[in-house]
Amino acid sequence: MNTWHSIRQSPMTALGIALLTLLVFLTLFGPWIVPNDPLTVQMSERLQPPSWQYPFGTDHLGRCLFSRLVEGAQITLGLAAVVIVTVAVIGIPVGLLSGYVGGRLDTILMRIVDGAGALPEFVVAISVAGFLGPNLTNLLLSIVAIKWMGYARVVRSIVLSEREKEYVLAARVAGGSAWTVMRRHLIPQILSPVFVLAALDIGKIIMLIAMFSFLGLGAQPPTPEWGAMLNDGRPYFQTVPELMIYPGMAILLVVISCNLIADGLRDRLDVRSR
Amino acid sequence: MKDTKESMESSPLLTVNRLSKTYSTAKGAPVQALQDVSFHIRKGECLGLVGESGSGKSTLSRLLLSLERPDSGEMYVHGVPLNGLTGKALRETRKQVQVVFQDPHAALNQRLPIWRSVLEPLDNYPDVTPPFLADVRPNRRETAAKLLEMVGLLPEHLDRYPHELSGGQKQRVAIARGISLRPDLLICDEPTSCLDVSLQAQMLRLLKRLQRQLGLSYLFISHDIVSIRMMSDRILVMQEGRIVDQFPSDQILSEERHLYTKQLTAAVR
Amino acid sequence: MRPIVEVEALCVQALAKRGKDRIPLIQDVSFQIHPGEMLALVGESGSGKSVTAGAVLGLLPNALHIGSGSLRFQGEDVLAWTEKKRRGLLGSQIGCVFQDYQGSFTPFRKIGKQLTEMIRTHHSLSKATAKDLALEWLDQVALPAERVYDSYPFQLSGGQRQRTALAAAMMLRPALVVADEPTTALDVLTGERVLDLLAELQMQVGCAVLLISHDLRHVMKRADTVAVMKDGRIVECEATEMIRRRASHPYTQTLLHARPLLTDLDAGLDWENEEVVSSERHEGVDGVESLADREPAV
Repeated sequence: MNTWHSIRQSPMTALGIALLTLLVFLTLFGPWIVPNDPLTVQMSERLQPPSWQYPFGTDHLGRCLFSRLVEGAQITLGLAAVVIVTVAVIGIPVGLLSGYVGGRLDTILMRIVDGAGALPEFVVAISVAGFLGPNLTNLLLSIVAIKWMGYARVVRSIVLSEREKEYVLAARVAGGSAWTVMRRHLIPQILSPVFVLAALDIGKIIMLIAMFSFLGLGAQPPTPEWGAMLNDGRPYFQTVPELMIYPGMAILLVVISCNLIADGLRDRLDVRSR
Repeated sequence: MKDTKESMESSPLLTVNRLSKTYSTAKGAPVQALQDVSFHIRKGECLGLVGESGSGKSTLSRLLLSLERPDSGEMYVHGVPLNGLTGKALRETRKQVQVVFQDPHAALNQRLPIWRSVLEPLDNYPDVTPPFLADVRPNRRETAAKLLEMVGLLPEHLDRYPHELSGGQKQRVAIARGISLRPDLLICDEPTSCLDVSLQAQMLRLLKRLQRQLGLSYLFISHDIVSIRMMSDRILVMQEGRIVDQFPSDQILSEERHLYTKQLTAAVR
Repeated sequence: MRPIVEVEALCVQALAKRGKDRIPLIQDVSFQIHPGEMLALVGESGSGKSVTAGAVLGLLPNALHIGSGSLRFQGEDVLAWTEKKRRGLLGSQIGCVFQDYQGSFTPFRKIGKQLTEMIRTHHSLSKATAKDLALEWLDQVALPAERVYDSYPFQLSGGQRQRTALAAAMMLRPALVVADEPTTALDVLTGERVLDLLAELQMQVGCAVLLISHDLRHVMKRADTVAVMKDGRIVECEATEMIRRRASHPYTQTLLHARPLLTDLDAGLDWENEEVVSSERHEGVDGVESLADREPAV
């Protein structure tokens, strides 16, 4: 009854959650439900139309497209989750310290954030790939390097406004150490905006991973990453467009569901849009 | 009675000596919030501080609470300097100087149930047991209930959240928190100005009763000279960062008062 | 002499969001204000004083509606007025002063422009004459007229803004001025001077004044009549002198005792042991102030 009520309140959020639940299910149980091994090359079976054996058909190397998509969900979502967690683990403490301690530390940290933030993300990612070589780890590193600053900045601005409020002053007067005040009063305030930001960013990060893999700077063949799959399908676009349509749709669905959830979270948690 | 009064005078609880503080504003000239402010508070005394917005009275309370640092001047609690304290020494002094802020809606964390807010100071100082809490101190909820009872609230308020209480009730919670360590000095920073008139009198009575019961000293800050007169033994009048007048409470209508004091009292004679 | 404002048995209700519930905000409120009289409507948050003022001005928000009773302005039924007529009278026959200047002025337009515009919507005067009138009134409220005329509202101090608002409310010589907590946002002394000015201008213009306040002591020095509101009803409406000498309602007494005079305190008034008067809001058990959350800002 309660669930039904919240679905009626925000059907789009419910849709987002349903889609993402499905994807997470695929991620977790993918290896057990895929009909074929996603990496087995069978040149005799290449570019097959959909059948019971191959639900979405096969690609140019005779690999089962459906199995690769499911396997790709695991890779894409897993990587995005790793990036988000890392970014939050770096960004939240930096923002907290910067906002709460203030003074020279704040100036130095925010200079770094502003300076690094001035570089376009593509330039950073491409130069990392250029210097360290194109592979997934380096791609993730460069995305983390770009993204943590946004979290630090959001957390800092919340801390700056909250730390002057009387309940935080009262907590300091009550003898709370800096850590106590942050843990008890500031971190709970920070969590909901960070959740919303993370939900929005997951979509963007999936796009980034896919984009760089498509450009050949991220996941390398034969990894069934969706962006890489798009790239694989490119030569056959005229004849077998499904090779690009399926991974494209998959990316679209994930990004949309993340954004729907983020919007719902924002309404629910009452985070003012900045 | 006379003896005790004399012994009070010999050992001021708080001494403030030539305190100054300047704020630099984003645009324009720096604002001198406090200029050369000196005074003292004796044990068991309520000192009233009256002034209008911008007179520097809030700055003074923030300095005394070590939330900010003065540009120059000294503050002593029981003869121990407050300036530049950090870490352990700061925590030691803080348990002697507590506060009740102006806005009860802002002074409580909306996410914490009342009993957690009330216990915050005692949780930070596990070694402190004020005499009036001696029998309940081992049990946190009983301690919180006892504190609520002292400010006229009921045990059922323990598990409420701030938004479920009225403004007056929230201010009572803030007062309970302020007295929980039995500080020597309680700074009341406009504790009634956000409340309705009829509640203001209740709150003043409560504060006065607690002061007598627990033998606290107050620095009572307000823009309202009537409540200052009701609460205080002595009164300081601040204008533009300076103390322009200071006198015993019953001399408030005397002819010798500063012109500014006379203006403030004219409306409420 | 016919009263300027006659309110009789007025009831205002709030329409609940869903369902047909109607929450009474003010009930059975009656009072009259005569020319040259200042009536102070005193009450705490949620007492319904602002709703009453809103009803008199015809400025109730849509969610509120007048359930019963009558409201007359100079003998005419206010409830029957068209929107156009009301707008014509607001400003020319009825002046308003609000708690903050945003009720009276648009933030990003110069004071002078707003004043002359106000004059010219109600009277067909040339720009030059309107400017002269505006300057004259800024001078009346003891402001540097030329400078204020060329200022934006945010460039003035709170006291200056309220003085300007008083000038704007009075300059068309209205029959009624409604002042809704005009000094609440000001310092004590500044507020006193603004109230002095209000009383002075009232003498000059001869209008009726409805002064809304939360502080009984504050208004008693100037008002001729005081109406005390509590929980949507007027509990006592008397000449100020009567209230001062022997307020009959316990709630009025509570309000008076809550803010004693310095002379009473010097005479040894024992405020600490005041018995809790029964009508004092019970804070202990059910908590939330009964009407406070429902009263919309008018």
